[in-house]
Amino acid sequence: MPDPSKPDSRRTARGAAERSADHAAIDRLATDLLPALIVKLASSGLGELEVREGAWKVRLRRPAAATREKRPADRAGRGSSSHASHPGAGLTPVGPGRDGRDGHSARDGHAGADPRRVVATSPAVGIYQPRTEARQGTSVRAGDRLGVVDMLGIAQEVVAPSDGVVGSSLAEPGDAVEFGQELVVIELALSPAGDA
Amino acid sequence: MFRKILIANRGEIALRILRACRTLGIEAVVAYSEADRDSLPVLLADEAICIGPADAKRSYLSAPAVISAALVTGCDAIHPGYGFLSEDEGFAEVVTAHGMTFIGPSAGVLERFASKEATRRLLGGYGLPTIPGSEGMLRDELHALGEAERIGYPVLIKPSAGGGGKGMRMVRTPRELESVLKVCRSEAKAAFGDDSLYLEKWLDENRHVEVQVAVDRFGHGIHMGERDCSVQRRHQKILEEAPTPALGEAAREDLAERAVRAVVAAGYENVGTLEFLVDREGLAYFIEINCRIQVEHPVTEMLTGLDLVVTQIRIAAGEPLGFSQADVTFSGHAIEFRINAEDPEAEFRPGAGIVERYHAPGGPGVRMDSHLFNGYEVPPYYDSLLGKLVVWGPDRATAIARGRVALDELVIEGLVTNVAIQRALLSNETFLEGRFTTNLLDRVGSAAFLTAAART
Repeated sequence: MPDPSKPDSRRTARGAAERSADHAAIDRLATDLLPALIVKLASSGLGELEVREGAWKVRLRRPAAATREKRPADRAGRGSSSHASHPGAGLTPVGPGRDGRDGHSARDGHAGADPRRVVATSPAVGIYQPRTEARQGTSVRAGDRLGVVDMLGIAQEVVAPSDGVVGSSLAEPGDAVEFGQELVVIELALSPAGDA
Repeated sequence: MFRKILIANRGEIALRILRACRTLGIEAVVAYSEADRDSLPVLLADEAICIGPADAKRSYLSAPAVISAALVTGCDAIHPGYGFLSEDEGFAEVVTAHGMTFIGPSAGVLERFASKEATRRLLGGYGLPTIPGSEGMLRDELHALGEAERIGYPVLIKPSAGGGGKGMRMVRTPRELESVLKVCRSEAKAAFGDDSLYLEKWLDENRHVEVQVAVDRFGHGIHMGERDCSVQRRHQKILEEAPTPALGEAAREDLAERAVRAVVAAGYENVGTLEFLVDREGLAYFIEINCRIQVEHPVTEMLTGLDLVVTQIRIAAGEPLGFSQADVTFSGHAIEFRINAEDPEAEFRPGAGIVERYHAPGGPGVRMDSHLFNGYEVPPYYDSLLGKLVVWGPDRATAIARGRVALDELVIEGLVTNVAIQRALLSNETFLEGRFTTNLLDRVGSAAFLTAAART
């Protein structure tokens, strides 16, 4: 979750009245809005919610998905040999174990999830092609296109779930990917979401 | 024979298909939605692939997602199960265009039998008695009223697409017809994406009897007898049995033989079911054909010893049936109880939740097809079928006795199920005498039905 308590640099020299208004706004955010927002996010199918309170806003995201290494590899090895004969099929074995949910589950509050990164996931089952413009180190905004998954000729956009910097790739160009599979790490920008 | 099959379904039928694949030595990939990640078919599969979110429109009903999943996993055939894409000729066509086989009738055959109204005329032409109905689809209210007048009330409004009783209404007067026509249209549109409706004469005291057939690519067809599905609630089957208590042996054989002759002549292919209404006099009227494996297929398997899903896969692979009508023998009596996550005390409201404890019954002649396990969370997005308890006995009385024992032994904790209504059926006099009709449960009301059973 982004940190709503840090004012940005333009607001460092301010009067006491402004500061107390800020504190009141933050209090309202923390005690009233946030719990309601968490409930709403958990019960909705949404990935992200944003609420404004005065000059402040808070954006709530679903927890970053468990990284691939955390998925139980109980199926690795099985079925992989059959893939070898199929061109372009480098499907990541899926671990549907008790703990194998990905970041789409609201119940998934992985304690070990890194709050500084989120992962762009596959919107469809098909063949993945990253966008060359979205190479590692590129700054992106939420909704920016990172690549496509070709589902039977229908290009499905892989988009950045939030603002940040493109990190490592979790799938190779031409890989067969499934729905919800983690594709690209996005390192979060730690500055607060200003009201610009 | 196929090398690798994609199973494009969920729940107990995905498990059933997986077992058939294993029997044949074929690899199986289970395609699943996010909501089914922790389901038994996914856990047991050779391979599993997530095709979309919980919303079936974007997963189990999405032809591009299913076909894409089959391609990237290197499958050479897709088994659609029942419901979802199982009778979608457009889907079957695209599967074939991608060099894979649709396990079911070919797209051309599905198209020929897609319209229930046209199928009735087609098979009527090949000697099947059909129920009086409207000429073609209902164009508008005026047309509907005119046709209903000609057929004679009561009439049944039916959607041309789909099945499972959705969008169906029985009306007794022109006024009722006017008031529900719009609702039926929008229900049909929502459920099947097609709002074509037609009318059928409603037989007040009818039995639902269906004939199971299998026809190979070489036009060799056999029947596997009939099933009685008269125990229904709002057109949804609850319990199925075979042989039907409604007809004598000669009448049953005659019906089944006429059914298979008609579908072979009409160019049908693969396994299928012809549904008939049987009136008080024992006259059977053809109503529709189901071009897929059906929920209640185990009833026939118990009676004949045949494996219908294996037969279906073999036919789709282009193999000849390999046996003739004389090889199909029938033994004893079988009953299937659909175990649903529904509350009989609360208008059969479907439920979801965690299965805290599950124990499947056993013993001679008892079969449980279910995807439940301890700790499994039943998702709220799909149908409420938890499993099918099927019992067999050398005669109907023994099957009923075994059914009682098995229902008592079945444990499903954490969810409300319809087991109470199944138990009530087995103490209902009309059922025990084999005289149940399709509207009985609705007429009596399930509450009264349960109360009456509690007294016996």
